[in-house]
Amino acid sequence: MRNSMKVAKWEIKRNMMNKSYFISLFLTPAIFIFFFTVPGMFTSDPADDELLVYVDDRIGVWEQAEEHISRENMNIITDSSFESEDEILRELEQYTEDAVIIQITEERIQSGAVPVYLSEDVDEMAVFQFNALEQPLRQLQLENLGLDETEAALASAGVSLTPVSAESETEAVEEAAADPLERLVPGLFAGAILFAIMFTGMMIFQSASQEKKEKVSEMVLSSVTPSDLMQGKIMGYFVLGIVQVLFWAAVALPLVQWQTDIPVFDYLFVPELALLLLIAIAGYLMFAAIFVSLGATAEDVNASSNFQGIIMMLPFLPFVFIGPVLSDPSGTLAQVASFIPITSPAILLLRLSVIEEWPWVELILALLVLFGSILIIMKLAGKIFKTGILMYGKNATPKEILKWIRQ
Amino acid sequence: MEKVLSVSQLGKSFKDRQIISDISFEVHKGEIMAVLGPNGAGKSTTIRNIMGIMYPDEGDINFHGYGDGAIPRHRIGYLPEERGLYKNVKVMDILLYFAELKDYPAKKAKERALHYLKKFDLEGKEKTSVEELSKGMGQKVQFIASIIHEPELLILDEPFSGLDPVSQELFKKEIRNLADNGTAILLSSHQMNLVEELCDRLFMIHRGQKVIYGTLDDVKARYANFKCTIRGRNDRERLQQLTDVQRVEEQEGRSVLHLSRETHVPGWLRQIPEELDIQELSIDRISLHEIFIGIATDRLGAKEADLIEK
Repeated sequence: MRNSMKVAKWEIKRNMMNKSYFISLFLTPAIFIFFFTVPGMFTSDPADDELLVYVDDRIGVWEQAEEHISRENMNIITDSSFESEDEILRELEQYTEDAVIIQITEERIQSGAVPVYLSEDVDEMAVFQFNALEQPLRQLQLENLGLDETEAALASAGVSLTPVSAESETEAVEEAAADPLERLVPGLFAGAILFAIMFTGMMIFQSASQEKKEKVSEMVLSSVTPSDLMQGKIMGYFVLGIVQVLFWAAVALPLVQWQTDIPVFDYLFVPELALLLLIAIAGYLMFAAIFVSLGATAEDVNASSNFQGIIMMLPFLPFVFIGPVLSDPSGTLAQVASFIPITSPAILLLRLSVIEEWPWVELILALLVLFGSILIIMKLAGKIFKTGILMYGKNATPKEILKWIRQ
Repeated sequence: MEKVLSVSQLGKSFKDRQIISDISFEVHKGEIMAVLGPNGAGKSTTIRNIMGIMYPDEGDINFHGYGDGAIPRHRIGYLPEERGLYKNVKVMDILLYFAELKDYPAKKAKERALHYLKKFDLEGKEKTSVEELSKGMGQKVQFIASIIHEPELLILDEPFSGLDPVSQELFKKEIRNLADNGTAILLSSHQMNLVEELCDRLFMIHRGQKVIYGTLDDVKARYANFKCTIRGRNDRERLQQLTDVQRVEEQEGRSVLHLSRETHVPGWLRQIPEELDIQELSIDRISLHEIFIGIATDRLGAKEADLIEK
């Protein structure tokens, strides 16, 4: 273990000094920030500018609807009074800032159209911000037509179709209350970790292959055992991957929270995250073991055979199942894919991000299968690595690899 | 002499082919022991088995002073035949990494690294990236990496291959120096002239089997017959008829008379006929190189020899 740590330390140091790692560490968040902020600079968001709202309410409807109208980015002046439409239009022309004038009078209600006057640059969509006025206005209109207050209120509320599922009422209430992002955020984070460290994991392939190509492995193996070397590489690249992900997360998450108002951090740091991270790490260990042993079989990445190419594609297999699993996260396909080691980490993360009630029994069984497979894969990878890393000068064929496993 | 390593009856096969069999020898403290043999004789396989990089099918490897079967990796220095270093790292970093792998203190390692870099004409190169070094420089760095931790046993697989004569001399001097300071050295080579100048004992391996084992002097006494070189115009037939002459080679006005092993040199000189044209005459033993060629081409036959160990 001590020797593995030394190898890990070396791999970390060697790569941290490496330009390509450095570039990917900083460039990715830089690109992210660029795409997140730069387009916003060119498109001015109307919500960003303060909207002046003049309300000339002669009936008192505004007061009834006021609490349902968002006051964000709005400066509302309710004691305005305008004589005529011409005056309103003249007034609006004079404003340099965005302004809206709402005039509510008896006549307007009777005519059924309450105008919302907009200054030149204000988008017509701004009208929807005052939707809350519609219901009390309709009620007034109905009262004017002779209905009493209760009848008018009832009629103006309208009739709507309400879905009622077979779920117990409390669950339905909970579900309605729960924000889907609450589950999704930790899942997405763990998924991002899985894929980011998996990409770093692919660097293990290169590292093992390079070690073989540069013929340095024999020298290293005179000091440490092959399994020390393999474990050291897996650990080293894990740390490199994690450093990368955490750095990216440290840049991206506050940015997302700031720009979208989603309480990302509240959603992220929940107990469930620990399990999701465990699955992501298990996934990494499995693919890292596959990659490191595969790297030991190929001297030249470009000249590696189709066989190596196919294995390299394995981590992307779960993508095929994303659609069907999302449409039915508890379906047969999702369940089967949770028990196949190659797809299991990604599919489990995906399912746990969307399923409200986690299927614990199934989850524990799937994890046991996953951990068992990792142990077996690691053992086999060790055998392949041990022989492959010293076989200079050629890429191993699948037949040879099979033979090493049987040894 | 204190034994550092004993190899007994080592055997290894790949598929159905026996690569080495019944290989036994010892390496002592402060001596240079050479494993010699033509390409493909099994030298590197023997060394890889000693290093635990391969596992032997038969036989025992014993590092004295360490438990049975244990390989004291941190006390061994190893320079493999296949040379290579990490490319995109600095010279000092890689030397310190190898020292760390051997549990050697970093501070001492740094001092030694600087000392050896200077010794090998690489002063000031400690911050240079390995990929910027020439092939010869890279080999020097790798040699330093193999001795940085003051090993008790140093195993060098073809240390001179690919080196220019100046570097060869440098390596030779350093190897001798290390042995004089008590390091047990096991080296493999097929460059006989270098080995002849350097080694104390040798083990010659051919087709995976021992053919010669003993001290250099013993090997020479036993295998290196005398040869007499005569410059002058002489009939080859006439020379061939002289007593104890096994064969005659003619090269550019010189005749080389290979004498049989039992030849008594003063007696043989006395019976040289007066009519021979002798402008120059010299008598010496055939070199290790010639013994080696003889064995490799089966001219000397696979005469097994178990010479007295010293």
